[in-house]
Amino acid sequence: MQTGAVTMERPELDPDIFVVGENLRTTIAKLYGGRALRIRHIDAGSTNGEEYELTALGNAYYDIERFGLSFVASPRHADILTVSGPVTRNMEHALKTAYEMTPNPKMVIALGDGACTGGIWKDSYAVVGAVENVVPVDYAIPGDPPAPVDILKGLLNAITQAKKVKK
Amino acid sequence: MLFAISFVVPLVGALVALMLPSDARGNAVFQCLMIAGSLSGIFAVGLWCVASLSGVPVQLFIASSLFGETFQVGFLSTFFLGIIYVGALLASVYAIPYLAHYERLYTIRWLNVASALFIFGMQATVVSATLFVFLLFWEVMSIAAYFLVIADRKSESLSAGFLYFVMTHIGILCIGTGFFILSGGDPLASFSVVATRALALDPLAAGIAFVLILVGFGSKAGLVPLHQWLPYAHPQAPSHSSALLSGVMLKVALFGFLQALFLFPYIPLWAAVLVVVVGLLSAVFGVVHAAVESDIKRLLAWSSIENMGLIFSAIGAISALQHFNLFDATPALVGLVVFVVLHTLNHFIFKTGLFLSAGAIQFGAHTRDLDYLGGLAQKWPTFSVFALALIFAASALPPLGTFFAEWSFLQSLALLVAAAPPVVALSALIVLSVVALVAGLAVFTFVKVFAVAFLGRARTKETEDAQPLPRLLVLPIGVCAALSVLMAFVAAPLASLIANTETRGLFSSLNVLPDASLNATSMWFVIVCVACIVLFLRSIGTDTRPARITDTWDCGQPLTPRMQYTATGFAAPIRFFFRALVMAEKNMIRVPVVESNSWITKNTLTWGTASLWEVWAYQPLGRGVLVASRMIARVERWSIHFYILCVFIALIVGILIAL
Amino acid sequence: MIFFILLLQAVCILLAAPAVVGLVRQGKARFQNRRGASVFLPYWQLLSLCRKEMTITRHSSWVFRIVPYVVLGSAVVLALVVPTLAYGVVPASISNIFFVAAVAAVGTVFLVFGGMDTASTFGNMGSGREMTLSALIEPALFLTFVSLAIGAHHFSLDGIALWMALTPWYVGAPFVLVSVAALVLVSLAENARYPVDNPATHLELTMVHEAMLLEYSGPYLAMLEYAAAIKLSVFLGLIATVLVPIGMVHAPFTLLNILTGVALVALKLAIGALVIATIESLIVKMRFYRMQEYMAAAFMVAFIACIVAIVSVNNIL
Repeated sequence: MQTGAVTMERPELDPDIFVVGENLRTTIAKLYGGRALRIRHIDAGSTNGEEYELTALGNAYYDIERFGLSFVASPRHADILTVSGPVTRNMEHALKTAYEMTPNPKMVIALGDGACTGGIWKDSYAVVGAVENVVPVDYAIPGDPPAPVDILKGLLNAITQAKKVKK
Repeated sequence: MLFAISFVVPLVGALVALMLPSDARGNAVFQCLMIAGSLSGIFAVGLWCVASLSGVPVQLFIASSLFGETFQVGFLSTFFLGIIYVGALLASVYAIPYLAHYERLYTIRWLNVASALFIFGMQATVVSATLFVFLLFWEVMSIAAYFLVIADRKSESLSAGFLYFVMTHIGILCIGTGFFILSGGDPLASFSVVATRALALDPLAAGIAFVLILVGFGSKAGLVPLHQWLPYAHPQAPSHSSALLSGVMLKVALFGFLQALFLFPYIPLWAAVLVVVVGLLSAVFGVVHAAVESDIKRLLAWSSIENMGLIFSAIGAISALQHFNLFDATPALVGLVVFVVLHTLNHFIFKTGLFLSAGAIQFGAHTRDLDYLGGLAQKWPTFSVFALALIFAASALPPLGTFFAEWSFLQSLALLVAAAPPVVALSALIVLSVVALVAGLAVFTFVKVFAVAFLGRARTKETEDAQPLPRLLVLPIGVCAALSVLMAFVAAPLASLIANTETRGLFSSLNVLPDASLNATSMWFVIVCVACIVLFLRSIGTDTRPARITDTWDCGQPLTPRMQYTATGFAAPIRFFFRALVMAEKNMIRVPVVESNSWITKNTLTWGTASLWEVWAYQPLGRGVLVASRMIARVERWSIHFYILCVFIALIVGILIAL
Repeated sequence: MIFFILLLQAVCILLAAPAVVGLVRQGKARFQNRRGASVFLPYWQLLSLCRKEMTITRHSSWVFRIVPYVVLGSAVVLALVVPTLAYGVVPASISNIFFVAAVAAVGTVFLVFGGMDTASTFGNMGSGREMTLSALIEPALFLTFVSLAIGAHHFSLDGIALWMALTPWYVGAPFVLVSVAALVLVSLAENARYPVDNPATHLELTMVHEAMLLEYSGPYLAMLEYAAAIKLSVFLGLIATVLVPIGMVHAPFTLLNILTGVALVALKLAIGALVIATIESLIVKMRFYRMQEYMAAAFMVAFIACIVAIVSVNNIL
């Protein structure tokens, strides 16, 4: 059986990913006394740009699973909520309930320009605007959309920051 | 003497009920009388057991002036008498608050007269010693049951009652004819006399008699293909009567069949196999229909068909095994007997309890359709614990009593597969597969009942507003639940008792079957140990803060109770997989709303299940009868000359035959 | 001593279970050309879940709260009584084949209750499907066990393990192979693996097992995930016991015997996990409404196993 990329050579890994990822892993280990971090992603009306990048995190190139992160199917299972998009009025309730259901200790990360500031939809009648208008945000990762490495770095910073707050 | 008291009480009760006012108070007085009667009956049965175990001649306890040659009390009848009295006791306690609630729906006076006569008929049937008395009281029981079925005088009750009435009379006709053949034409013969006369019967006559008796008692016990009335009739009666009909009357039918079996000098192999096949067919049809049914009481009725089917197939297997000289299979034989006895008891307990529970649900939530229930566990925590125990008993899951009976059945079959010659082994393997399928689907059925009715949220306003249940209503259900737990501990001693009587001391240890002690104590020990381990695991280093209560995760679209799976939705895969058996049909009718645009349509989805037997056997038969009667009706309109010609032809034919 | 070995068997499975799940994930990651998470990640996941708060829906009743205990309890009973490390230590009546099948069913039933008690359509859907699968796999499970019992002349798994260990492999070979095939089919269905269920899916509509857990959080979720891991390990261990009963711990217990036994159990479980990973990487999930075909196939294989066992026991050929 042939494994591996059939169409092209596997590209060299960006060393940044590895450094950031390893850092993330050790930080999670220190923070939770465990090495697992579960992420629930909520699309609160994004262009799906952020979702493409998040999906990329799971592929063979970035492979965030090796750093102990995983995406889960329910907010009740999650440690971290990542929210993308300017929160549309339809998703406002969904975001609130998901936040309420996530067990403590939890963290909300706004992902992308839309989630951080409301982006180009800022004052539209159809959106509530930045995620912090709806639920408290612990960390914001700007970019439209942020690159996978940026997301990883953002996660690391968020956790480090939380560690300082905890102390 | 006690027997005599408990025996006469229902008759007195019937008279008293006639005189009492037809309201809640009159009902309470009547039920108290019945409770006293049943208690004395239970006491009498207990005394009889103690006496017979300690070797005291039991005739002492029987007022011979009353019973004489007409009645007899043996081991078998005492067993079934016990079932009847316990059933009557529970039903009577339950009926006090239950009928008070439904004062307007039922004419309490006549309902109580009918139940008294029903109980009287059942116990008299069980102790009768001659054919005539047996048939007489069998008929009393059947007719009284008819009045229980039509108690609320709704149209569906009346049609169900009619179907029942016809079926039960076909049944008694068959039973009567069968007995008639056996006794050589003497309807007044006692059973012992019949048994001696049957020795001289030629095989063909015995075979015909056997089939007739199987049909007769089978129609009462709800065996395929004469089961059709049962899911219609049993649910229509008031719930405490349904409990008696399904929990107790079916056992009387079983008693009748066993009683008749003992009359035969031997059971031919084909007849035994016939019983097994009919039993298994009933089990499969019963359980598949139960799995897709949403009306609780009808579901329970289907499940009764399944359970009676299993018991009958075990009886058939026992009779079939007599034909093979299998020394290795003796434990299997004992295991089958253990199953029959234990399962008769267990089915009585859990089915009575579940019918009473169904009545309690109807009492509180005003519906017995699972699709409208839900969330009862939050409303009635105590009741839901009892219901869960009964559900576990009905699903034959450990550690409750029913599991041990089923265990013994499966193990015996497996033993036959392992140790018997190939032909028997293969048949046992097929039976085992069917029983395993039935067991799996039974679990599905009862899990569905509990999960849909008790868990989640109430699906309708009526269920949402359900008031707490009166204590007296829950008490008998609690007793049933306790009994089904208790049966787990009774199973092993009872099994060894049966093993010892069956094989005359061949098995002295508790282990009736290899590798399977039906001993619940070790199992409960394991449960307690494991509970300790689990609680220990839970307590170390875990978060023990009380849980934060939130809404259900709804993905942003607020959930309504209607969005939950209904019983219909829960059973959809089973309905699909077994669509040939339950004749599931799904029709989507599209009607265009706007003439000009064919895309805007009003869609109506209908689906339903039907009984294979009803469509392929009953309806053609009914149509055939109609066609035949129409043809005969045509004859009626002919002229007088034709009739004279007919008489003339008949005369000539008669003379020719005579010559 | 016997009691100690019994406990050791349970402890082995309880300790190894998360690693088995981790190994399956790791194996699948390798097949996808990824490095994947550490094999020991599930331990940390369970621990961090245990330390988290719980959130519970207001529409659930007392049943929802006892579900994790019963499910984990049933898994622990399986770990105790199914011979994975040793034979000749479990009393026959509690490692009886029908008892073991029924204990597994109790766990499933309560899991279904948990899914139904959430008032959430996802949980309900998972419950309905799980119960259907469990009801339909029952005949295949019973017949698989019965085929082993017939061939081994014992009705307890312990006795079967004993027979397997003491009999030369070629005596049992014909029926053992067919039985194991049936056992694999049954195990895949019982443990919600491919092709019956997708354990890694995030899409609620394709879930069976996961959908029932969506409303659980914190320690309760940890208990349920742990129970699933234990059940998977027990079934893998059972298959290993039947197929390669080498080096199991038995009557004159020596330290060497016990140590090699434990090491071999770990090895067997690891190989089993990798086989599961391979199977899951090679095949796809079946449509739910084609499940009756899978169940019928499993049943037929089990039935054939029984017939082969009858034939070999009776020396017909």
